[in-house]
Amino acid sequence: MTWQTFVFLPIALGAFGYSFYRFQLLFQMMKAHRGNSNRLDNIPARIMTTIVNVLGQRAVLENKGPGIMHTAIFWGFIIITTGTLEQFVSTIYQGATFEFMGQSLYSGWLFLQDLATLAVLLGVFYASYRRYVVRPVALGKSKDANIVLLFTGSLMVAIFLMNSFHIAGTHPWYANSLFVSQWLATRLGGLASEPTNAALGTFFKWVHMLIVLGFAVYIPRSKHLHLVAAGPNTFLKTLPREKGMTPINFEDESVQQYGAAKVTDLSWKDALDYYSCTECGRCQDLCPAFNTQKPLTPKMLITDLKHNLYANKDKILAGKLDEVSHIIDQNVNEDVIWACTSCRACEIACPVFIEHTDKIYDIRRNLVMMESRFPPEVQPVFKNMETNGSPWAFSSADRAKWAEGLSVKTMAEDSNVEVLLWVGCAGSYDERNKKVLRAFASILKKAEVKFSILGSEEQCTGDPARRIGNEYLFQTLAKANIETMNRYSVKRVVTACPHCYNTIKNEYKNFGGNYEVYHHSEFMAKLIAEGKLKPTKSLDATITFHDSCYLGRWNNIYADPRKVITSIPSARLVEMTQHHDQSLCCGAGGGRMWMEEKIGKRINVARTEQALETNAEIVASSCPFCITMMTDGITTKEMKDKVKVMDIAELLDQTTT
Amino acid sequence: MAKIFIVAEHRDGRLKKATFELLGASAAAGNETHALILGEGIAELAKELAHYGANKIHVVENSALKNYSAEAYSKAVAQVLKAASPDIVLASHTPTGRDFLPRVAAKLGVGLASDCTQLSFDGSKIKVRRPIYAGKVLVDVEFLGSGPVMATVRPNALGVPKPDTSKTAELIQETVELGALKTKVLEIVKGSSARPDVTEAPVVISGGRSLKSAENFKILEDLADVLGAAVGASRAAVDAGFRPHRDQVGQTGKVVSPTLYIACGISGAIQHLAGMRSSKVIVAINTDPECPIFQAADYGIVGDLFAVVPLLTQEFKKIKEH
Amino acid sequence: MNIYVCIKQVPDTETKIKLNSDSTGIDPAGIKWVMSPFDEIAVEESLRVKEKNAGSTLTVISAGPARATESIRTALAMGADNGIHIELPENVDNNTIAKALAGALKKEAHFDLIFTGKEAIDDGSAQVSQILGEFLDIPSITVAVAIEYGAGTVKCKREIEGGSFEIIEAALPVIIAGQKGLNDPRYASLPNIMKAKKKEIKALKAADVGVSDADQKIRFKNYQLPPPKQAGKKLTGDPAAQAKELVRMLHEEAKVI
Repeated sequence: MTWQTFVFLPIALGAFGYSFYRFQLLFQMMKAHRGNSNRLDNIPARIMTTIVNVLGQRAVLENKGPGIMHTAIFWGFIIITTGTLEQFVSTIYQGATFEFMGQSLYSGWLFLQDLATLAVLLGVFYASYRRYVVRPVALGKSKDANIVLLFTGSLMVAIFLMNSFHIAGTHPWYANSLFVSQWLATRLGGLASEPTNAALGTFFKWVHMLIVLGFAVYIPRSKHLHLVAAGPNTFLKTLPREKGMTPINFEDESVQQYGAAKVTDLSWKDALDYYSCTECGRCQDLCPAFNTQKPLTPKMLITDLKHNLYANKDKILAGKLDEVSHIIDQNVNEDVIWACTSCRACEIACPVFIEHTDKIYDIRRNLVMMESRFPPEVQPVFKNMETNGSPWAFSSADRAKWAEGLSVKTMAEDSNVEVLLWVGCAGSYDERNKKVLRAFASILKKAEVKFSILGSEEQCTGDPARRIGNEYLFQTLAKANIETMNRYSVKRVVTACPHCYNTIKNEYKNFGGNYEVYHHSEFMAKLIAEGKLKPTKSLDATITFHDSCYLGRWNNIYADPRKVITSIPSARLVEMTQHHDQSLCCGAGGGRMWMEEKIGKRINVARTEQALETNAEIVASSCPFCITMMTDGITTKEMKDKVKVMDIAELLDQTTT
Repeated sequence: MAKIFIVAEHRDGRLKKATFELLGASAAAGNETHALILGEGIAELAKELAHYGANKIHVVENSALKNYSAEAYSKAVAQVLKAASPDIVLASHTPTGRDFLPRVAAKLGVGLASDCTQLSFDGSKIKVRRPIYAGKVLVDVEFLGSGPVMATVRPNALGVPKPDTSKTAELIQETVELGALKTKVLEIVKGSSARPDVTEAPVVISGGRSLKSAENFKILEDLADVLGAAVGASRAAVDAGFRPHRDQVGQTGKVVSPTLYIACGISGAIQHLAGMRSSKVIVAINTDPECPIFQAADYGIVGDLFAVVPLLTQEFKKIKEH
Repeated sequence: MNIYVCIKQVPDTETKIKLNSDSTGIDPAGIKWVMSPFDEIAVEESLRVKEKNAGSTLTVISAGPARATESIRTALAMGADNGIHIELPENVDNNTIAKALAGALKKEAHFDLIFTGKEAIDDGSAQVSQILGEFLDIPSITVAVAIEYGAGTVKCKREIEGGSFEIIEAALPVIIAGQKGLNDPRYASLPNIMKAKKKEIKALKAADVGVSDADQKIRFKNYQLPPPKQAGKKLTGDPAAQAKELVRMLHEEAKVI
């Protein structure tokens, strides 16, 4: 033990102690959240996903350039840290090293370290080039990022200098293994005498260690917190792509607050999300709201909520939760909250699996149910759903009108069927969409599938109510529908609307509704594969398919609608620049179908422009909202005479006999 | 021959056409037709009532009745009716008539059939039919108990008779005790000559994106002027800057239910339909015969609005001039 | 202030109305019952007055069949404090309803302001607020589109014909019948909906408010549905012919011009 011990130890203990203290505070703030989140199901799958995404960096590598850079820095740092451990140990116990592992292992390990240090330094150069020269919108300006790059870069330089001066001053036996440092040593060594070099080596070792300790102190205050949080966040992510919103138990009288009025009304998992955010901006890149000049960006939403949490730190830690400020503030304002179309591109893009949309919904729930604060054009939608079971003001007695003359039976007339055709409100009342239902009913008849509809017993699935935040109204409708379907012992359901599909399949199970649910694209693809349907008429046209968010990103269905299209003779499928997971939302999701779009460019116009770029003659879709939005967009671009918007059921019906 | 009392309505020195309808119908049925007119300085006006069928004209001159008020009119009318004991009392279902006549009925302890669209005389009673549930059901009204039967009649339900300026009638001056009134009419704010609001107009003419410019909306405005209509717009037209947002008809704009809705160059997608579906009569003009608006329209013209609308304006002008 | 609002439960505008088997009334099956839309405006106005006058209570009253309590509950959910339900049979006339409301109001300590809607959308006669005014011997101001509240007085802007308005002043107590444009009714928050489930609705019978069959002055008979709406007519010919034909049909057939 030397003076170094007595100087280093207190500093290290102090730094780690302080760092630990701040981590403690973050953890306490996380625990103070009111909401619950149960995420310990299916541990084996969770372990697997963590291995693949953390160790394997899979999600990070979705974006190749930055992905490789990050993988290099990630693995590089892990290796370097083992070296840092040796530095700490050898400072506290003078002379202690890890050479006990044997010469060949030790030199191999040192070689790896130098390689790692080089890799990280190159990574820092690439990251700096990207951040300061290329300047993608996703990154924005960040003091935090500047500091981290500075820390990291200088740490790597310090390590190289430490090693090279050490080599120049003491000529250790393992010098060859530190191949980069050795090369540096030949350049720098001649500048001073050997004792000076040795001393410089020690000096830069101290610089290295102090930077590391500085990092440890800095991390809890920075987005570099993701080092600690991202791993657990990956382990605790929602496993399946399909997910429903968490129901509220209205029977529980102890619950007085519905939705999130304050940041602490969200759950601990939401806090972990903020801690995991690296501010990479991938979510923002794909957000339809952000890209059409709305004030919402998922990236800023997460950082703003984090700042709200930090701003309320003292109140939270003192247990004064009712004094925590309102979640709606000048950063997270109502326009931000209402701009979301629930397309989930942000969640799919996030390399650390943050779930942005759940927070927005919880905030909406409070605004709608507790404060009656929502865009005024939404009130008639609620009233219509309450009174007539449909967001549009039509009588429920007219729900089966689309089927007049088609010998379609209701469940009341014949419930002994293979499948329930869930029509949905658009199919029941929207003249355009009635055509789609008629086409699909015709297809079912051609394939000799025995089906019935609920007719006037069908009510809106409640999807618009839930996405807008009226959970109470949603549950009223859901329970009524489930009661009806269970009364008819419904086992299988097919629907042409992805919103109905998603709600019945993924969300009704929380209320006693367990059915085998198919979207009509899946159903038709299956019938084609089974040979029960075979399009024989040719359709000589280029067709581009617009992926519906609730079908694609929400439920992973991309191939089936395309199979339907490509099964048609002479049909040529072309993809838009943004397709599959990257598809741009039509703008109607998240209840926005019912809201006026006042800010920025119309989302549906932006998507229509992408469709028109393909020069396709037909824009195919599989969702009534998408059809409405794309048709509107085509008309806005004055291309109504040149480009048609069709549902895949219509395309198939036209080409089958 | 029944004794009929008809409460006449006038404003700004002119009698209302609806009053003439009632007088004409009563006289045509051979009833003893009494007209009751209230106000100040109405002697000349009162004489006109004879031209349309009044046999006797009761004039109530009182400074408190210079401007209409429900309180003063109902007090005055009830007093006159109590003294006269008519079999039948009629008024028009105008903003005025529907406002004060219920109070008169209550004062007399009798019922009132409001907004009748059919009226015929049956001895000392009337046979009336009226719409309920916003016109979804029609019913006859039966009057129970004793006392005069009272009804307000929808304007334009009966025809306006041709006046016979040679006819005269006995003028009877009536005096009424109004006592201390609890309400005071402070002022009448005249309606602006500008076009009515889309939500209030009985006729709405809407244009879509196919109008192509704000200037082109003039052809709709010309038609609106002839019909006393409001001009509405689809969201597409508002987005394109052709019309202001307050004119937008649709799901996220205004919901209107006029007697007549003329949709020009509007496809009728559900968002627009949601805002005007409950209009009594819907007319659609569009070049595309397949567009959804024709499903909702009572009358459809497949054609170019730029050609059709000006012609409509001409045709409507002819009708209005008769 | 003691504020009262009188409401009526009616079939929703979208509901398809069917007649019962002997045309003496409508078939109640499948009807969606809601608070009459103008009454919602009245409830909203009364809530605003209550909120501006600390210490006020708002009571919502409805005279009608047992199902009317649902609409009273809706008003309570919007924020009214108490409810009174006077049970009356189906198909009573406006005189009976007004008498029942008057009877209930006379049992109350005192009333400062009474709000109603300008008309109920089922009957559409627009009589009750005025008849009620007679029975209580207070003024009734109908079709109010704006109200200014003074100390013990109100100044109302009422719609009259021709797009003109009347400004009329009255001392309290007064009945005001609200018209569209007076306000935008609020959407009940969930906590208020939950609280409303527990609020008390006083139940009164016809006899309690001095109402009997003798109060029925008119009765509806011979219910009929109007002829069904015909499918749209597409007019043919050149624009001049189409225009001429359309105008003729609108004038002679549809009679809207």
